[in-house]
Amino acid sequence: MMKRRILVSIASLALLAAACGSDEKEGAGTTPATAAPTTAAPQSTTAETTAPETSPPATSGGGENTGKVVLLSAGEPEETDAYQKIFDELINAKTDYNIEVVSAGDFEQQFQIQAEGGTLDVAAVPQPGAIPALAEKGQIVSLETMGFNIDDLNALLGESFVALGEYNGQHYGLPTNINLKSMVWYPKTAFDAAGYKVPTTWDELIALSDQIVADGSTPWCVGFESGGATGWPATDWMEDIMLRTAGASVYDQWVKHEIPFNDPAVKKAGEVFGQIMFTDGYVLGGAENTPDIAFGDAPGPMFENPPKCWLHRQASFINSFFPETAKAGVDYDWFPLPPIDQEGTLYAGELSVVGTNGNRPEVIDFLKRFIAQDVQCAMGGVQASSRISPNVEVGESCYANEILAKASGILTDALKTGTGRFDASDLMPAEVGSGSFWTEMVNYVKNGPDYLDTALKNIEDSWPTS
Amino acid sequence: MSETVKPPVLQRIDHRTATAVRVIGVVAAIFAFGFLGTRMLDFLRDDDANRLLVVLSAILLGVVGVFVVFWAMDQVVDWLPKKIREGARPYVFVGPAIVILSVFLIYPVINTMLISLRDANGQDFVGADNYRFVFTNHSMLRALRNTAGWVIIVPLIAVSVGLGFATLADRLRRGEAVAKSLIFLPMAISFVGAAVTFRLIYSYRPSGFGTNIGLLNGIWQGLGNEPVAWLSQQPWNNLFLMVIMVWMQTGFAMVVLSSAIKAIPTEIIEAARIDGASEWRIFRYVTVPSILPTIVVVTTYMVINAMKVFDIVFVMGNAETNGTEVVAERMIRWYFISNHDGRAAAIAVVLFLAVIPVMVWNVRKFRQQEAMR
Repeated sequence: MMKRRILVSIASLALLAAACGSDEKEGAGTTPATAAPTTAAPQSTTAETTAPETSPPATSGGGENTGKVVLLSAGEPEETDAYQKIFDELINAKTDYNIEVVSAGDFEQQFQIQAEGGTLDVAAVPQPGAIPALAEKGQIVSLETMGFNIDDLNALLGESFVALGEYNGQHYGLPTNINLKSMVWYPKTAFDAAGYKVPTTWDELIALSDQIVADGSTPWCVGFESGGATGWPATDWMEDIMLRTAGASVYDQWVKHEIPFNDPAVKKAGEVFGQIMFTDGYVLGGAENTPDIAFGDAPGPMFENPPKCWLHRQASFINSFFPETAKAGVDYDWFPLPPIDQEGTLYAGELSVVGTNGNRPEVIDFLKRFIAQDVQCAMGGVQASSRISPNVEVGESCYANEILAKASGILTDALKTGTGRFDASDLMPAEVGSGSFWTEMVNYVKNGPDYLDTALKNIEDSWPTS
Repeated sequence: MSETVKPPVLQRIDHRTATAVRVIGVVAAIFAFGFLGTRMLDFLRDDDANRLLVVLSAILLGVVGVFVVFWAMDQVVDWLPKKIREGARPYVFVGPAIVILSVFLIYPVINTMLISLRDANGQDFVGADNYRFVFTNHSMLRALRNTAGWVIIVPLIAVSVGLGFATLADRLRRGEAVAKSLIFLPMAISFVGAAVTFRLIYSYRPSGFGTNIGLLNGIWQGLGNEPVAWLSQQPWNNLFLMVIMVWMQTGFAMVVLSSAIKAIPTEIIEAARIDGASEWRIFRYVTVPSILPTIVVVTTYMVINAMKVFDIVFVMGNAETNGTEVVAERMIRWYFISNHDGRAAAIAVVLFLAVIPVMVWNVRKFRQQEAMR
């Protein structure tokens, strides 16, 4: 009897000790999150908004100032290094915390893991479609909780952009970067020498394409290959056309699945896209080969002498894939993709999302400084960067690069007037936006015009029901 | 001896104090250990901690810690009353392993099974919906078909080629080590590295996009053909991907089988020769039966590896548009990219269940062989 009692007591003590140990650990880990009272956080942050230039309160607010803020970014290491320098100069030098930009090659996975594990400070998320699921699970913190004034943000960053991070009336994403997608690049010197004119309407664009074919060359360079994400440039084409044929309000319905994916309006856009892809002689190498051409290699033939193709539709980042010797404004330039039935501007960008570990005064202070005019303007000054600010106060003069300055002008107008729309595939549920939409667009260009109905139906069928 | 001298009452007191001391000692040890684990090692969690220090403490804790734990448990068992002492010892020794196994293997398996019955966020119960998806979705069906292809083709080719090399290399008078090293070399490359290399071999550019730099297209064009986009030739592109794994695993099969062949007593082979058996008959009736257990182990290893293949497919482009999906790749995709916990878990469970028969077969075969010896 006695012996058994000893055994039992030892065992229960061991269990108790183990339980205490794990309790302590958990307690330590979650203190910043659980001890972030919704009452205390706004107080401290309103204090900050009134005096934003002074150094932030170190101890008040939703947690302790740990002296470090980690910004998880999907950008390339070269790019994030450049921002790190700007943060060092404009933020770290003035504050009692340090910003560390971490470039994650596997951003989607890292973001997910850190958000779920409660270790995420801030992540600059290029796909706002991921926000609702995390918000529902309570793994990210809303801007309202952290004391941001949404009306101010709407005025500063464009209401349609800020609204992308909305879930159940709360906003979870702070726009910190934007890039223009509706750009058609062309080899300027040869283009001018051949006597071609920049088209301002869709009909002129088609006429120009026909002219180039008649002159014995090929108008378009197109490439959709992008490893596991093969097909995304094709979805950009669709979105750009959809915005111009159906208009912004139908585009919004399409994104929210208020109209089916095989709606006549979407089919119309698919047909216009098909006109570019399948017209004889329009696409270099033929439409069926475009899924095997890396998107970064696609503009290459434009820089041969004479150019093997003359037009390339791609977002503002693509000039980093151009030959190093090519000069902006001389060897190449761009024009906005012309309107079809209406005007439209397609853009993409990042929303900075705060994880449960990030509800701390220094993170809030960092975000305020991050979107402020001076830091955003300085970012435009980085020569290698293709980063454009969503802050409408950041003028064209901030950009070191003429190409970006022009793009920023168009984007600022679009954000102010509300004609701009975010990349639809990044807003749709991931099954569609990073899945069937990519795949079926690839199947469409491979199989030809007759496949369009099947492609749209397959995407419609893959839309999650819940 | 002294026990016989002491009166029974004193004996009992002695026993009690000893027990009390032991209990206090054990409790103190447990608390000390808990304190050490939660407090003193906090610095390891600091990102800025000295790497060398972290590594050293990890090694120290791992090696010395395990030793100390087992030694301490051995002591504790020694204090136990004689009757149950030897009965308890094996359980105490197996205990930590069982605890670790439960926490890191059994619990996750059960939890995955539960999640596989829930929705995308792992919250609402959806019954067998996710399993219905696994066995009806056209992309999943392709993944199951492709994985079956990997499981059959890769081990078949890798083991037979490896066996052939091992047998032939055994006959080499000179250069056996060099020949074997060359074939073994790809084993040292990571799957991702090999996949990236083969991406270049299979590289394709349509006319207008410069010359083709891919080795395969170079040879193909040299034979007077038009370049081909190898990685989008369905369903053959699956074979092009399997080649990579065969290339990497043949060396492993060869090395293991070669050592097995060398272990065959030369007397048997010589006896066969004297009896006038041809080389082929010796291979078929002496060599292969002698090394059969090794062949089984190597094959199982390859089958399981092929079942889990992910990196190669993931690196080689969009599996869904190329029709090269495999089960493990779908699992990662649904979990991390499409954010559907339920479906990812269901795929994981299917994969887990598919591995079990292979393991059972392996163990059975091994036992049969052992029994024959």
